[in-house]
Amino acid sequence: MRYLFFILTQTGRNFRQTWGAQLMTLLTVTLSVLFFSFFYLIYNNVLQGAARLGDELRLIVFLDQEVVPELRPALEKKIREFSEVEKIIFISPTEAFTRLGEQLGNDRDVLDDLDGSFLPYSIEIYLKKDFKNLAGIKDFSEYLTTLPGAMKVQYGHGWVERFGYFVNLSRIIVLLSGALLTLTATFMVSYTIRLTLVARQDELEIFRLLGATNAFIKGPVLIEGFLQGVFGSTMGMTALYFCFLWIQNHFNGPGFLNLFEFSFLPFTEAALIFVCSICLCTVGSLFSIRKFVRI
Amino acid sequence: MISDDHPAIIEFVKISKVYPPDILALVDISFKINKGEMVFLTGPSGAGKTTMIKLICNIDKPTKGFIDIAGNDLSKIKPAAMQALRQKIGVAYQDFRLLPRLTVFQNIAMALEVKFMDGKTIRSRIHEVLNVLNMTNKIYKRTDKLSRGEQQRVAIARAAAARPILLLADEPTGNLDSQAGTDVMALFSQLNEEGTTVVIATHDKSIYRDSHCRIFHLDGGELDITGQEPEDREQGTET
Repeated sequence: MRYLFFILTQTGRNFRQTWGAQLMTLLTVTLSVLFFSFFYLIYNNVLQGAARLGDELRLIVFLDQEVVPELRPALEKKIREFSEVEKIIFISPTEAFTRLGEQLGNDRDVLDDLDGSFLPYSIEIYLKKDFKNLAGIKDFSEYLTTLPGAMKVQYGHGWVERFGYFVNLSRIIVLLSGALLTLTATFMVSYTIRLTLVARQDELEIFRLLGATNAFIKGPVLIEGFLQGVFGSTMGMTALYFCFLWIQNHFNGPGFLNLFEFSFLPFTEAALIFVCSICLCTVGSLFSIRKFVRI
Repeated sequence: MISDDHPAIIEFVKISKVYPPDILALVDISFKINKGEMVFLTGPSGAGKTTMIKLICNIDKPTKGFIDIAGNDLSKIKPAAMQALRQKIGVAYQDFRLLPRLTVFQNIAMALEVKFMDGKTIRSRIHEVLNVLNMTNKIYKRTDKLSRGEQQRVAIARAAAARPILLLADEPTGNLDSQAGTDVMALFSQLNEEGTTVVIATHDKSIYRDSHCRIFHLDGGELDITGQEPEDREQGTET
């Protein structure tokens, strides 16, 4: 308890001595956490949006002949080899004709003089609802055209592709902002603490001569980095929450964001960002300790 | 040979110290100082007194020889053991080594904080030692606002406050008037009576002239010891 008291007193003294640099570091860590978590929030919502677009993750393979029931398991196996598939349905022309009638609703009488024989046999493939499958949908459709008897493969090609590009871009931005967070948190904290150590050189020398232990000298420096992480990530996440509320209020209505049902980061992911930021800042202070505190 | 009653707290064996390029600070010096002794280390400026103090508290290393402090071989001592040893040694440096922006209280408290003493003990120890030195009225003054003599007494107070087993004072009366010098010597005597070994490096004859303590005279890096070791004195008295 007494040890903790001394450590915290020393840490407070460090903050007071180099408050300007400490403030700059705090702001940098806050902004880095905000940038990263903001892009991650967007990315996360895009992924959720992708998961909701279940129907669009359906591919229809039109066949030139019926696949007899004995061959179906082999064909299913071949399809599942390429991508994660939720379900595969073999559709006969009669079933397709019935569906068409249902889709036409009140206008189904246009089909009165027809039977379903003009419709081809087909396979409906439902992909598992995650982005990985969405991003690979083009390759998968090309693969499906190589199936025996496949004439044509149909899916929401245009927008799925654009959506894929958008998600890829989001992913790159998330990775870049993650790298930014890592660099700023680690190096800024490390450099600020280095400044603190330089400012306290005389004091540390006297403490060393008085027999201060490693824990006594290094503890406050470590706590300093830890607190930079705690305050920086708390402020960053709080700012993110206000950004989220602002976006929700101002983009509430029919449009792009409604497609995604914009939601905040799940607790575990927010907590993970928080903990990682603290760890990065603490690692930053450890770098400085290892390099500059010789006892 | 170290007796059980008075084991040596400081032992120098054939210590030499050469500063580059070839300045001989200490030449082949051997001696023992027993626990509870008070010893004066005298000699003119540049005789090697400060070097000897630095070697005792392991700020500097000897070029040759062996130093043992309170049972610790300084050439092999581990950092943790050195830290523990330094907590038991109080040093009043010639250049004071105070932090100018801190108060008298804060400067002295540093020596007690490293031992994780509680606030009440720290306050009481600081008041006690400043009282002997007649400095209680300066307790919350920044040390850069004090005179050289006052700064010197703060440095001495810091060395004494932790009640060390060994106290080293380098020219402790160099900047003091006679009254302040008497106060400082009273503090050293009090600590010595309580069991602290005191080593005072000085060229101020007035503080050791009438003393019965051993006097280690250094000149040109060579040592001349006058006076008897305590056990020899006791034996001499009996006979």
